[in-house]
Amino acid sequence: MLRDLSRTGARELIATAVRVSPSLRQGLLLTGVLALFAGAGRIIAPLTIQRSIDSGLVPRTVIPAVVIGAAAVVVAGTASLLLNRRLQSRIEQALAGLRRAGLRRVHEMAASTADRIPSADLVSRLTSDVDQVTTFLQGGGIQFLTNTAQLLIATGLLFVYNWRLALPVLVLTGLLLVAMAGMQKLIARRYARARQDLSRMQTAVAESVLGAAVIRSTGTGERARAKLDEAVDRARDSLVSTLVPLHGNTSLGEIAISTMTVAVLLGGVWWGITGDPSLTAGQVVAMVLLVTFFVRPLQFLVQSLGEAQNALTGWRRALELVTTESATVADGVTLPPGPVGVTVENVSARYPDGPIVLHDVTLRIEPGEHVAIVGRTGSGKSTFAKLLTRGLVPAEGSIYLNGELLERLAGLSLAGRVVIVPQEPFLFTGTIGDNIKLGAPGASDETVLGVIDRLGLHEWYGTLSQGLDTPTGMRGERLSVGERQLVALARTALADPDLVVFDEATSGIDPATDLAVQRALAVLTRDRTTVSIAHRMITAETADRVLVFADGRIVQSGHHSELVHEPGPYAGLALASAEGQP
Amino acid sequence: MVAGAWAIGWSTDHLVIPALSGHHVGAGVWWLSAAFILGISALRWSTIFIRGIATGHVQYRAQAETRRAVVRRYLDLDLGWHRRRSPGQLLAHAVSDVDALWSPMQFAYFAVGMVFMLLLALTELFFRELLLGLVGLALVVLVLTLNLLYQRLLAPRAREAQEARGVVGGIAHESIEGSPVVRSLGRADVEDARFAPGVDRLRAADVRMAAVSSVFDPLLELLPTAAVLVVLAAAAPRVADGSLSVGDLVGVVYLLITISIPLNVISRFLSMLPLSGAGQERVRSVLYSPDVVRFGSQRLATPVPLRVELRDVGAVRLEGVNLVLEPGTITVVMGAVGSGKTTLLDLAGGQHHPARGTVLFDGVDVRELARGAVPENVAVVSQSPFLFAESLRDNLSLSGGYSDEELWRALRVAAADDFVRELPDGLDTIVGERGATLSGGQRQRICLARAIVRRPRLLVLDDATSALDTRVERQVLDGLKDLVAEGGTTLLVATNRPATLTIADRVVQLRAGRIASLEESRAS
Repeated sequence: MLRDLSRTGARELIATAVRVSPSLRQGLLLTGVLALFAGAGRIIAPLTIQRSIDSGLVPRTVIPAVVIGAAAVVVAGTASLLLNRRLQSRIEQALAGLRRAGLRRVHEMAASTADRIPSADLVSRLTSDVDQVTTFLQGGGIQFLTNTAQLLIATGLLFVYNWRLALPVLVLTGLLLVAMAGMQKLIARRYARARQDLSRMQTAVAESVLGAAVIRSTGTGERARAKLDEAVDRARDSLVSTLVPLHGNTSLGEIAISTMTVAVLLGGVWWGITGDPSLTAGQVVAMVLLVTFFVRPLQFLVQSLGEAQNALTGWRRALELVTTESATVADGVTLPPGPVGVTVENVSARYPDGPIVLHDVTLRIEPGEHVAIVGRTGSGKSTFAKLLTRGLVPAEGSIYLNGELLERLAGLSLAGRVVIVPQEPFLFTGTIGDNIKLGAPGASDETVLGVIDRLGLHEWYGTLSQGLDTPTGMRGERLSVGERQLVALARTALADPDLVVFDEATSGIDPATDLAVQRALAVLTRDRTTVSIAHRMITAETADRVLVFADGRIVQSGHHSELVHEPGPYAGLALASAEGQP
Repeated sequence: MVAGAWAIGWSTDHLVIPALSGHHVGAGVWWLSAAFILGISALRWSTIFIRGIATGHVQYRAQAETRRAVVRRYLDLDLGWHRRRSPGQLLAHAVSDVDALWSPMQFAYFAVGMVFMLLLALTELFFRELLLGLVGLALVVLVLTLNLLYQRLLAPRAREAQEARGVVGGIAHESIEGSPVVRSLGRADVEDARFAPGVDRLRAADVRMAAVSSVFDPLLELLPTAAVLVVLAAAAPRVADGSLSVGDLVGVVYLLITISIPLNVISRFLSMLPLSGAGQERVRSVLYSPDVVRFGSQRLATPVPLRVELRDVGAVRLEGVNLVLEPGTITVVMGAVGSGKTTLLDLAGGQHHPARGTVLFDGVDVRELARGAVPENVAVVSQSPFLFAESLRDNLSLSGGYSDEELWRALRVAAADDFVRELPDGLDTIVGERGATLSGGQRQRICLARAIVRRPRLLVLDDATSALDTRVERQVLDGLKDLVAEGGTTLLVATNRPATLTIADRVVQLRAGRIASLEESRAS
């Protein structure tokens, strides 16, 4: 499963973020200084005003005060500009890194983990979740920093002016913060639920996009719409449920600001009359202004907390993906080079939460041997293939490749050396050449053509309108399933693996091409350990050994010529196949 | 806010200055000061609260409505339109573009309220002193001009960012779908290299937006402070000669500073408009796309197998095809990969209209058929079996409301009854995303059963038994043969599996988009 950071505290989350994107740490001091300048510049105004009013607004003092104020404004503006540029480019850089690391992690995590997460969820962790951070930044996230600085400076000034008047302000702030913190927890909970419903809604949309053909051909648009409406409505309702606490929290600032103003105004006058006759009207007015300068950033911070929370949640979801354990075993053993021998000892397997589908299988496949696996659908042959390629972890027992325990092998040493060709090969948007070259990045066209030739696919190649540059369309949709399989075969041949697992890879290819592929496979399987999940007798006939699976067990094993004459399921399968020929 | 500034100005003149210069101030003034400030604030508090909730409601409801409309439109648009777009793109239109479209909503009412407030504040300034009014007016005009310029510069950058976001989404979606291949071949590097330019383009676009906003944001924010300084310098002589009270000046300063809040809100609202516009453009391109499936008004009523006639039909991979499927017959189409089998089946099954020529169902041009007439009569099983992440029962019946008995009968014909019975939850088993928990052969048989249970008058199978092993395939073929023999349906099959020929009445050989041969099968 993906790593769960939803219960991790903010500080630890930030530490994780910095660990993942170390560039965030650079120049932190300069950033802090810039923020202080930006905040300080914004507070010089009330100081200037106070000086002017106190000195009776004489031109002699007003002019220097205005000059100082103007300088402060220029400093604040310049500092804000630099701060903005700096932070945004830093953070955007970190986000770009996060996206790339996330995609890489999807490809490197255990297949059993990836299979259990809806792909729309993974996609949203690389796209819309990360976009939340950008949205926050562009919506004034930087002001978060300048406002914090302003808040600190304003607090300091309040105390310098008159600590007695600052005290009620602080007490009220304390109360405000306690109320906000409680409310914030509620908001966070509701937002978490909203994000979950949003992700569910995305999955529903994705399904109606991918299943559009089925929906259309069965005329069940109404049903698809109803399902979609339900998901959309739920997402909407859970978003709406965040509104009351969110705005309740936001508007608290208004109450706080007016209460503090009254406290300072009346308290200041009262203190001026009874306690400290040196307190001037200008000072009290400046204090009232300072309260504004104190509460306004506070209010801004609270207002942006919702958006900040969103951004943080988005960042967290991306981090969850990036910090999910890689299937690449650290310090793993490298698979020794050369043809791979496979030893399977007492292996049982089950899908998550399902019954046992493979019982206590033990066998040995010699390096370079070609083993065909036959059996009825549901006999466990595909499960067996998944075990060999780490698509599934054995529930019991162990699998060894060249004597090394499969789960201890470094993932990178397996990649390209142990390859599965699935039933429905996936092609990327691009050309046929691009897709084949995935087997060996950087391969030249000549090499690719050589492989095509070797596989006996030159006839098919001749039918392609643009040769290697023939476009495949979205997910290979421009090609038939058969053509997609041919491309996958060429891709595998180019990768030149040491252990190949073919899972019904030759179904759907027309007879002429099929024969050619069978011939090519014979060439390809030489010096290469091959496990074919076979449905054609021809595949079983050409294999060194045939394993017959039934109900999750190996029930027969031997060469085709022996098994045909042996009483048992194999003879039945061979007979059924012979009948199928016209 | 204007009232708030007035209350503070009033308190300064009537309470702070007299009291601190030694005059006696009555208790009533104290109470009035407090009541003014708190009362006005309470009023503001309730409007902020109610406005926030109301706009939120409107925004989320509008988003949901538009989202629904977009996805509903997807279901109406034809196959060609869908093939030209990636699922990632379609997902982005329905999710992030719709979000962007309505995002300014949260500030819309607020911004309108703020414009009203600005006008009030300006009037107030002019009323106090012509000069102060002019400074205020200059400030507002300057801020709005800057905003206009800001928008001009931001709009193309925002569009670029939104486009880059679409590209990133598309690649991420495809790459994640293909991750089994990538994992098996160990090509995370290749995928990273493919992803990197898109990600970098998005980063650059976002930074370019930031470059603009980092100039304008502080400028807009600090202008009010600059205005305060100007007011101070200009008004000081008038206070000194007594034509302006200190309280008036304080009120003006306070007003200018508080003006920055509405100006900020207005500029935030304006800054969201370009993104929203870009989102709207995309959403409109879906909602107003003309490529919807068109329907006529004819319906088909006869409960016997369908007669299909193709007259000189042509399409992208097909040329001059003439073919008649007689009711209750089995026609098998064979041909090399890329010979046009799928195209022929799509046309004969009424899934697509031909570019040239006509397809007739019981003598009626398919183009003339009413909405829903094709699904009522034809069932199609395609090359790639698609299942929804729901229970098997829901996947089979969809909105059909079939009895368990009917479902089991269809499963039996599709030779899927055995394995479904053995599943721990039987028909109520939830299959994973796109049926991931089933094997390819099992998925194909469920899709076949889904077609059979609808009792179609024409059943079209496009290589739909490719993942079955020979014995199961035999069972399926026998079941189909019986189904046709009972007079249930006309059957059209494309395949390369020779076993299928044993049930064929006619065999059509396709070569490079043309019928190469057409023979009555020896099997019948």
